[in-house]
Amino acid sequence: MSGPLTGLRVIEYTGPLGQLAGKLLADMGADVVAIEPPAGSPARAVGPFVDDVPGPDRSLNYWYHNTNKRSVIVDLTAAEGVAAWKSLVAKADIVIEDCAPGELDTVGLGHASLRPAIDSLIWCSITPFGQAGPWASYQATDMVGLALGGPMMMNGYDAEDVPGAPPIRGHGDQGYNTACHYAVQGILAALLYRDKTGQGQHVDASMHEACSSTTEVGLPYWFTQRKNVIRQTGRHAAAQRTEPWLHMAADGRHALIFGVGRDNASWKRIKEWFQADGFGKQLDEPRFDEPAARQPGRGSPEAAEVMSELSRFIAAHSADEVYRGGQERRQSWGVVRAPSEALGDPHWEDRGFWTEVSGEGRDAPVRMPGAPYAFSATPWELRRPAPKLGEHTAEVLAEWLT
Amino acid sequence: MPDLPLSGIRVCDLTWIIAGPTATRVLADFGADVIRVEHQQAIDPIRVGRPINGERTTLNNSGFFNYFNRNKRSMLLNVRHPLGMELLHRLIAISDVVIENFSSGVLDSWELSYEAQKTINPGVIYCSISGFGHSGRDKHFTTWGPTAQALSGLTLMSGLPGEPPAGWGYSYMDHTAGYYGAIAILMALHHRNRTGEGQHIDISQVEAGMVLTGPAILDYTVNGRSFRRPGMPPGNHAWEPAIAPHNTYPCAGEDRWIAIAVRNDAEWLAMVRAMGEPAWANGGRFSTNASRLAHQDELDAGIAVWTSTRDEYRLMHLLQAAGVPAGVCQSPGDRVEKDEQFRARNWWAAMPHAEMGEASEFDGVTPRLSHTPGTNRTASPLLGAHTHEVTTDLLGLSNEEFAEYEAMGVFM
Repeated sequence: MSGPLTGLRVIEYTGPLGQLAGKLLADMGADVVAIEPPAGSPARAVGPFVDDVPGPDRSLNYWYHNTNKRSVIVDLTAAEGVAAWKSLVAKADIVIEDCAPGELDTVGLGHASLRPAIDSLIWCSITPFGQAGPWASYQATDMVGLALGGPMMMNGYDAEDVPGAPPIRGHGDQGYNTACHYAVQGILAALLYRDKTGQGQHVDASMHEACSSTTEVGLPYWFTQRKNVIRQTGRHAAAQRTEPWLHMAADGRHALIFGVGRDNASWKRIKEWFQADGFGKQLDEPRFDEPAARQPGRGSPEAAEVMSELSRFIAAHSADEVYRGGQERRQSWGVVRAPSEALGDPHWEDRGFWTEVSGEGRDAPVRMPGAPYAFSATPWELRRPAPKLGEHTAEVLAEWLT
Repeated sequence: MPDLPLSGIRVCDLTWIIAGPTATRVLADFGADVIRVEHQQAIDPIRVGRPINGERTTLNNSGFFNYFNRNKRSMLLNVRHPLGMELLHRLIAISDVVIENFSSGVLDSWELSYEAQKTINPGVIYCSISGFGHSGRDKHFTTWGPTAQALSGLTLMSGLPGEPPAGWGYSYMDHTAGYYGAIAILMALHHRNRTGEGQHIDISQVEAGMVLTGPAILDYTVNGRSFRRPGMPPGNHAWEPAIAPHNTYPCAGEDRWIAIAVRNDAEWLAMVRAMGEPAWANGGRFSTNASRLAHQDELDAGIAVWTSTRDEYRLMHLLQAAGVPAGVCQSPGDRVEKDEQFRARNWWAAMPHAEMGEASEFDGVTPRLSHTPGTNRTASPLLGAHTHEVTTDLLGLSNEEFAEYEAMGVFM
């Protein structure tokens, strides 16, 4: 079995902003060639590094985002490199680049210069703000993208918890990730159009638009009520304050409580669980039998009592006990894990989620996340780890250009 | 009709809430015929989700629903009625894609596992999105977006050091599980174009979250370092690459903030000039990235004095003119009313909706395809608005049969 994109040739010329797009295609079978300047992609300079020692082949960020790609050094400032770029582009089905708008075209190497002559070529430019407009040349990092696009203003703290707290940026380069998720949707839509007609096109992917389209009720509230939602500690931004979702457990971790006994059957299971442990004797009173009265946000004394008893119960148990106990009683509860804490959860072993990768500085392969989707016929596959700088220059030039 | 990249693709859309409808929103925007199959007795909760236009819910006046369900059709179908289930089979038979985001096991209980769907439509692409996937010991566990964010590590990666997690102020993983659903379906359609072969795609919302934490996982498996440690998460300071200044700073006015990220010494010098070369910023103390990182609190305090009396948009323009990455923390209202880039790119759209007004509002379709861009064609469908049209045009019912079925309670 091989991936659904087997046979597609992709050229990628990216740094931290665009590198996930090529990974998503490479992991599903496309032949993705990462073109790099002699000093390497700027993504190779992003940590963390193996043993905290920087080096082009030691970036864990690069290891992760460049699986299944091959690396070819092409110096676009030299005549030979310019010729190689043009020859490789002519052989590609898809080009992905995250240069500033117009940057490649000023030297005749961008989509405006090259794509019109190659009718079937799909060329995706990933930029902070899109190819045109008053901010097209503005500079952005991931945080600046998440600020202007809107996510940050919806993340943060209740004033009671952290007075004067700013909007908060979640980590993990989620602005870059979201830009790439949309870019790949556009590339694949263009690919399906090409399947029908043979015609390629340019795909203008903007991180700003992608982030703004990823803020759930933020825009609907403005569209319908001309109202901004307010940010709150560890839960959704909302038009009015809502009850907390995070509760500190006995082991110092937070349990995430998302509704309590919405229907009477699950309420009975929750109540019996509490009571078996000596909590919530008063919950047998008939005034707790009405589901609506128990729900946080209704402001009823019953809801407040349920939440307070729940907090006491959680404070006496580990967050994992609360999570698993709740889920076994059909509550969509969770535990706030550090990313690496999921490595100990056997459910993901059952599904074969983790994959292993090797790289400079470590003899044995190490674990990292695998597939975001399980395809039955054309599965995700790790064929090769992230390439060393220039590892495949000779190989690819021979293969593609002869 | 403009040429759309997915025209001719039909989607039997059994999804609800947000993750599934996000996936089908992408497909619909690019031209697929997305037919929402809805049930009066198990209504999509987002149809009554706030914000509501008006005082009372009508199942058709949710701004939340409208946003996620543009460009789609809606049919009512009672799948508990044998004739309703038979019509669903007919719809599956003529669909390219079947998608659902029920808890795992629901479609099996309808006797519509992938194996069963294949007997109806051998080339079908069946995409399921659930919390934990359709295999594994905890497959019966369930999630909402925030549950998936907590379990995958994303919630913990957002917050100030020493404070509880700030997490995500919206269901980032409902959106993103939906994006992975759309991406997977588009890849599977390409494979089917080449080979005729369909397949099942099993998406776990928690796994889709875990793939967004790769470098943090590797920092643990390679370097033995967990994100749960003193000083982490570092608020709006940079994690990697470690650069300073990198933070949000208060501006004039209530709850106004600007994010500023200085990536190198040249950008720092440009920022110092933009600030008017204040005495505190000149000299050796902040001249290298390493020294700026070492004195980050002092650096932030100096910058905040400069920003706190100034207008956030003017600051952004000033810094950007100097080549320094800076951006206003924009509210939804800012994005719609003040964002010059969105306005210049004609990002906002309006389409008529019977209960949301002549100009119910939307954002555009991104990314922008030069030859066959995605489009805004219709606002969200009224509940069951297309039941007659789908069953008679596509599923072969005559008008008489439609009336009989309706009387028997098949369309509810």
